[in-house]
Amino acid sequence: MKTRLTGRVWKYGDDVNTDVIFPGKYTYSIADPREMALHALEDLDPGFVAAVRPGDIIVAGKNWGCGSSREQAVVCLKEAGVGAIVARSFARIYFRNAINQALPIVTCDAVDGVENGDEITIDFAAGTVKTPRRVFTFPPLPAEVLEIIEDGGLIPHVRKQLGR
Amino acid sequence: MGKTMIQKLFAAHTKQGALGAPGAPVDPGDIIWLDLDVRTARDFGGANVVQNYCEHYGDTPVADPARTFFTFDLVVPPSNIPYANNQQICREWARTQGIKVYDVNAGIGSHVAIEEGLVRPGDTFVGTDSHLNILGAIGAFGQGMGDQDIAFAFKTGRTWFEVPPTMKVVLHGIPRKPCTARDLTLAILQRLGSDGALGRAIEFYGAAIEALDLAGRITLASQVTEMGGIIGFPISQTAHPPLNPALLPDPDADYIETLDLDVSNLEPLIACPPNPANVHPVREIAGKRIDSVFLGSCTNGRFEDFAAVAEIVKGQRIAAHVMATVVPATRRVYAQMLTSGVLETLFDAGFIVSNPGCGGCASGHLGMTGKGEVQISTSNRNFPGKQGAGQTHLASPVTAAWSALAGEITMPEVKV
Repeated sequence: MKTRLTGRVWKYGDDVNTDVIFPGKYTYSIADPREMALHALEDLDPGFVAAVRPGDIIVAGKNWGCGSSREQAVVCLKEAGVGAIVARSFARIYFRNAINQALPIVTCDAVDGVENGDEITIDFAAGTVKTPRRVFTFPPLPAEVLEIIEDGGLIPHVRKQLGR
Repeated sequence: MGKTMIQKLFAAHTKQGALGAPGAPVDPGDIIWLDLDVRTARDFGGANVVQNYCEHYGDTPVADPARTFFTFDLVVPPSNIPYANNQQICREWARTQGIKVYDVNAGIGSHVAIEEGLVRPGDTFVGTDSHLNILGAIGAFGQGMGDQDIAFAFKTGRTWFEVPPTMKVVLHGIPRKPCTARDLTLAILQRLGSDGALGRAIEFYGAAIEALDLAGRITLASQVTEMGGIIGFPISQTAHPPLNPALLPDPDADYIETLDLDVSNLEPLIACPPNPANVHPVREIAGKRIDSVFLGSCTNGRFEDFAAVAEIVKGQRIAAHVMATVVPATRRVYAQMLTSGVLETLFDAGFIVSNPGCGGCASGHLGMTGKGEVQISTSNRNFPGKQGAGQTHLASPVTAAWSALAGEITMPEVKV
């Protein structure tokens, strides 16, 4: 994982659930991550897929990713190029899916200090999110969790631990 | 300092204590390797689990086929070819691995697990169903996860997990009829909101909890996901099956928060769109015309739920413009409905009685709603798109039954 990430903001509200991140109607028929990316946030922000650029950052309110356990709701955003998600809080299944898929997640109130399209910088080592208006701080992830992300996700992490 | 139920349950399921610190106590915030008694996948996510497993672990065997199951419940029998294909992928792979499949005739996986004794009080259980924390109803740990996690659990029999802090919810008083376990649950959801228990375990206490039967405890436990919680345990001395006595919380256990809630004057409640925490008294929206009714789901799909509906609608017809669907949770529930006469009563009243499973609780199968359709449902979520394009309102089976008869959202009465 890079220690710093600078990207453009996509700002969303509270309680964004996995049905609007990746619609349930596709969960059966789509298995290819690239195709999943074409439907990311389709029911919340239909303009997202066409305009998202690699390294963009989603900044949201509380309880991001609540609802169903579908891992596609992480994969579609990662594949669409999202570099990190910053939210006031995360639903727990989403939180661990993101870690397992090595999509960096940051818990802080940056949503209070950004507008759509702002450029912000996350410094993972310092634990800061710098927006045009304010600097927000966040507690680092537990060391064990950071290691999973740094290794590229759960599977590579365990492989490394097992020495193969 | 004493331990909460989740601390005791996790301590009994980790051989090495906190990660990297063998023998360390299991405290909130610790990340542990959790030993899993049972791991499952349903048809939702199941094919992804198989794909993930084959990609990462090839044709190597799962850790223990006797503790690994498929439970098909979401789109059963399949409504189109992609669904059928995914179920067949699971079936064929299960055969090569020697894994038992509870197939499209069985019913909702979490309920089948309780009925068939796949899980007992005090066990740990994971799968691809985000409402697996229903197993909190019998004092077991259940958790929904993504397909990578479940493939890993199939392979290793364990998962990483952060020990959650526990909050205490203490109910005072006992609600009176026509309120049900669902209204009690909606009241707690109203108070906690969609994230009031975020990342936490909950222990529920009080006379109202002791008064709940298994069906009622399932209703409550299933909605902990909608409160943001990891799992909720109704602490009941009278529970059947009984809670594992070795795992009961200590009196001096450490709780992150205690919430007191007086439910003695509870009134019937309903969650309006767009989310399950948008709870209002039924009386506030009584009179709103409805198009459809869905009775069932892992939250309210038990025999007791349908028997309560039958008592209300017996000898009557639901409103002519209302389409009402009943989906029992499992085959056993269906059998009880058959032999008790409940099924006939519901059929005569005009309900469509479907085969067991998740039914309308998943966009993609029977009982979906169209644009502009107003539905009252006993299912667990009403997010936009969850049950179709319409507006889903979540309420108790009793409120739904009265509403089906009247053709509009209706305050339930106590039948004399």
